[in-house]
Amino acid sequence: MNEHPVKISLRGLTKSFGKKHVLRNLDLDIFQGDSVAIIGPSGTGKSVLLKNIVGIQTPDSGSIKIDSEEVVGLTGNARDRVNRNLGMLFQGAALFDSLPLWENVSFGLMSAQGLSRSDARQKAIERLQQVGLDAGNADRFPADISAGAQKRVGLARAIATKPEILFFDEPTTGIDPVMGDVINKLIVKCVKELGATALTITHDMESARRIADKVAMMHAGKIVWVGDVDKIDDSGNEIVDQFIHGRLDSHISNARLGTSAA
Amino acid sequence: MSFVATIGRIFLSFLASLGRLTIFAGLSASHIVRPPYYPRLLLRQIIEIGYYSLPVIGLTAVFTGMVLALQSYTGFARFNAEGAVATVVVLSITRELAPVLTGLMVAGRIGAAMAAEIGTMRVTEQIDALSTLATNPYKYLIAPRLLAALIMLPCCVLIADIIGVFGGYLVAVHKLGFNPAIYLKNSWQFLELVDVVSGLVKAGVFGFLIALMGCYHGFHSKGGAQGVGSATTNAVVSASILILGCNYLITEAFFSR
Ligand SMILES: Nc1ncnc2c1ncn2[C@@H]1O[C@H](COP(=O)(O)OP(=O)(O)OP(=O)(O)O)[C@@H](O)[C@H]1O
Ligand SMILES: [Mg+2]
Repeated sequence: MNEHPVKISLRGLTKSFGKKHVLRNLDLDIFQGDSVAIIGPSGTGKSVLLKNIVGIQTPDSGSIKIDSEEVVGLTGNARDRVNRNLGMLFQGAALFDSLPLWENVSFGLMSAQGLSRSDARQKAIERLQQVGLDAGNADRFPADISAGAQKRVGLARAIATKPEILFFDEPTTGIDPVMGDVINKLIVKCVKELGATALTITHDMESARRIADKVAMMHAGKIVWVGDVDKIDDSGNEIVDQFIHGRLDSHISNARLGTSAA
Repeated sequence: MSFVATIGRIFLSFLASLGRLTIFAGLSASHIVRPPYYPRLLLRQIIEIGYYSLPVIGLTAVFTGMVLALQSYTGFARFNAEGAVATVVVLSITRELAPVLTGLMVAGRIGAAMAAEIGTMRVTEQIDALSTLATNPYKYLIAPRLLAALIMLPCCVLIADIIGVFGGYLVAVHKLGFNPAIYLKNSWQFLELVDVVSGLVKAGVFGFLIALMGCYHGFHSKGGAQGVGSATTNAVVSASILILGCNYLITEAFFSR
């Protein structure tokens, strides 16, 4: 079906918090070089899914393979080696607020690749310019810039080490549409330049259409539909139709509140 | 019956947290000795813990030494043993008061700051971001703090020893009319190395406990600003109680025979 090898393969992924079942036997394949958007209503566990893939959380059961290597249960140096090939933009940017912007951006370069501080600073300024922030911002602190600018810096940090896989958790949430559009364009540009595999979480359909070439619909802890982004309007899937037309009937809003049957 | 069950449950959850804390401490300590190291971060913590705590520690020590001279003079004058004031001041300061009071003051200052900073990093996902950048949070955040506190608390206590004895000297000489030379001679004469060393050992242990509590509670804080607030409180309270408890144990280990 696809000539590219599978980059990330998820099988039977399950994750619960106490009695709350967030991921329920989730399967998904992401092929190398694809840009996939995972869409779904708030609270279905999209962020939890990402955190499991990057190793911040451990699934209760199931398998996660990156480049055919099982990564569930990896810790310490083995996990760090895998994570060196990943870059992630967090939902709330999660910049280090004790460090100036340039050190945020070049964090991976200095700690994982051992670049000297002056080289790292130079690289960081380049990356900041890549996301449209000029060099004068390098010594400012995260608390002093707007949320939109923080997302840009988070993006610069994620791409700094030129990772093979990029994760974006709701890149456009909480910022105005104009800035959102800028971020979308930046993401498309960065992913293309790096030739990376990208996984974007969003509940903004506009953003999904712009960024992704494939869309996966997540609902009640499972992926219920995967397809090319231009097929989304006639997916033939009831849940996808409801989601993209904003008709959140009881079917979906129950899941959103976490009250659907276990 | 349900009463017994409740006690059992509390006891079990106490054991579980003790286990978690032990694992946390062991893991953090192992990262102190394994490369890569972060000398910049260590230096920053050393300055924060050692240098910026000096005013607080100095003031605490000087007033403690002063009041100690005054009080022991009142007591000893009742049976004409005023000569013992110098010895009592120097022994109390080096063995007990400098390490314990410094420990408590630093617990309030540094333990709280560590819990708040690390707790905020936890709830804003900065700690998660560290691991996606292939950086071990134990190594990057916890190890430098533990090591810096372990090194700096003994230094602080040594300074508190000197300032505290000086405070006693001030009151004895200028208010109580002691002869300066004789007071100093009395201070030295009965002071043994073990008095000072036991105080410094205490300081090292207290430093480790303060940083451990600050980091542990910060690292495991949950749920926004309120969670960070209670992590801070827990860090200070638990560090203070551990300091007082360990103080007794170390004293007994050194001096009971
Ligand atoms: N650490 C945790 N402990 C307990 N419950 C959690 C934890 N993390 C997430 N959850 C629960 O898992 C569910 C899914 O959360 P998640 O953040 O993945 O949603 P989401 O799909 O990313 O939503 P949004 O679009 O609003 O970001 C939520 O109901 C949340 O309460
Ligand atoms: Mg989310």
